Amino acid sequence: MLNRRKQIANACVGMLCLIVSSCAVLLLLAIVVFMLQESWPVWVSQGFSGIAFSTNWNPLGDPPLTGIGTMIISTLWVAMGGLFIAAPIGFCAAIFLAEFAPPRLADIIRPVLNILTGIPSVVYGFLGAAVLVSFFEVNFNMASGESLFCASLILTVMVLPYIVATSEAALRAVPREYRQTALALGVSKPYLTLKVLVPLAKKGLVGALILAFGRAAGETMAVLMVAGNVLIMPNSWFSKGEPLSALIALELGSAEVGSAHYQGLFAAGLVLLIFVMAINLGLAFIRRDKKTG
Amino acid sequence: MKLRRLIDGLWISLFWGAGLLILIILVSILGYLLYKGGPALSFEFITGSPSGFPLGTEGGVYPAIKGTSCLVLIAILSSALPGFLTAIYLAEYAGQSKLKELFSITVQCMAGVPSIVTGLFAYALFVVHFGFGISLMAGGLALGIMIFPVIVVTSRDALLAVNNQFRTVGTSLGVSRWYILRRVIIPQAMPGILSGLLLAMGYAAGATAPIMVTAAVVSVGSTTSLFDPVMALPYHLYILFSHQISLENAYGTALLLVLILLAINVAAMWIRSLKGKGA
Repeated sequence: MLNRRKQIANACVGMLCLIVSSCAVLLLLAIVVFMLQESWPVWVSQGFSGIAFSTNWNPLGDPPLTGIGTMIISTLWVAMGGLFIAAPIGFCAAIFLAEFAPPRLADIIRPVLNILTGIPSVVYGFLGAAVLVSFFEVNFNMASGESLFCASLILTVMVLPYIVATSEAALRAVPREYRQTALALGVSKPYLTLKVLVPLAKKGLVGALILAFGRAAGETMAVLMVAGNVLIMPNSWFSKGEPLSALIALELGSAEVGSAHYQGLFAAGLVLLIFVMAINLGLAFIRRDKKTG
Repeated sequence: MKLRRLIDGLWISLFWGAGLLILIILVSILGYLLYKGGPALSFEFITGSPSGFPLGTEGGVYPAIKGTSCLVLIAILSSALPGFLTAIYLAEYAGQSKLKELFSITVQCMAGVPSIVTGLFAYALFVVHFGFGISLMAGGLALGIMIFPVIVVTSRDALLAVNNQFRTVGTSLGVSRWYILRRVIIPQAMPGILSGLLLAMGYAAGATAPIMVTAAVVSVGSTTSLFDPVMALPYHLYILFSHQISLENAYGTALLLVLILLAINVAAMWIRSLKGKGA
């Protein structure tokens, strides 16, 4: 029989945990509301299409224009490009780890993935700018090697560990019976992997891509240092661009508080935030379907 | 049949290639940094202050190391306890309610918030509205918001990894939930929780975007208070490179930063492999 004081202590701890976690949930809401509040005047004066679809970024002009269409395109281009390269490599590496790697080699590669995620983005950006960009300048005779393509390459390296880890988990979650049945039927291992395991783990693999896309779209330092930061509409993978995150990081320091410039940057942040949150929510629903279905 | 075998061989070599590519990436990053940054890294570099003109061409990075440590300390102080309590709620008290699902999704969303957006939020709230200015405090709190979901997720997973039988036995003995938590489950989950804290610290130490707009400056005076701007290693690296101050020192700083984070990561992996008390 519990005595009364202990019962109360128990209830108090539960209550305390509930209150603290509710505050955490409210914090996310607060971030969204706060960003909306800070950028509200420009949403009102220019309308949604004037910000999200317009390509005129001239916040210091009269009237101030805060169209972030070019930056949105740059962000999408850089992130999709990164995924385009990272996905095949990441899936192959995940298949290798889950099915083909000798256990000892797999035990080396898995911590390596952790270490790769631990390297800060500014170091990736620095290496990309110092090595990749100058490589392009020297070998392809470009006036300056900074381009969306370089940023995509850096993002490839950065999101690769996430893709590999998540896809490997998805492949391992496929029940053993499939493997045994296939092997008993005399099917070769690559055939089994590609025709049985990959289709079964499809949802998990798509989830890995979505997760990586969210990471790539929100990444700041690496793209800031190699994408070139020129406010023009990118017309090819090899042109320069300025993604949303780079715009915010570069201009926030010089924007006067309360000016249209400041509000425009918050509008850019809000668009980025909602975009990434939508990706995460979508991912949460995919995962929940998998659990119940 | 022969063709089939050829295709199989091709696929297998592709898988091997992708797996080995990951190793090659890490080795080449570390190797290149060591080769380029090694000569710059010395005792004087770690203990000295930046000097020369423009500032940073000579001298060391000691103020940046100090600044980064302070930022990480504030971040962890502000977010460890809330994160831990949220994890306890999610793992132990929430049961299977709708509320738990809502909280889990929220935490996942917070983990996905781009770090520059966290910085933007912290800038408007702490720097402008609360009037902290560009300061250690604002940057530390921004990093705290950023690492909060990391702490929640790692602590929750550590708590959930504890064998469920302890909970069943405890309940059948008529012991309160809090008592089992305090005496059995938390001690057992401790290595996992601590390694999560270390990972969060590493994450905070390497983050640049949030502190770039809230805390970091190119150089600082000798005064140190919570409401002064600070230098930070990652931002120092960014400035050294982007303002073309000193490529050599930039490589040194990058190497130092990577070595620190490598040490933190390895320590976290080692701690996680330990067994908790009473296991």
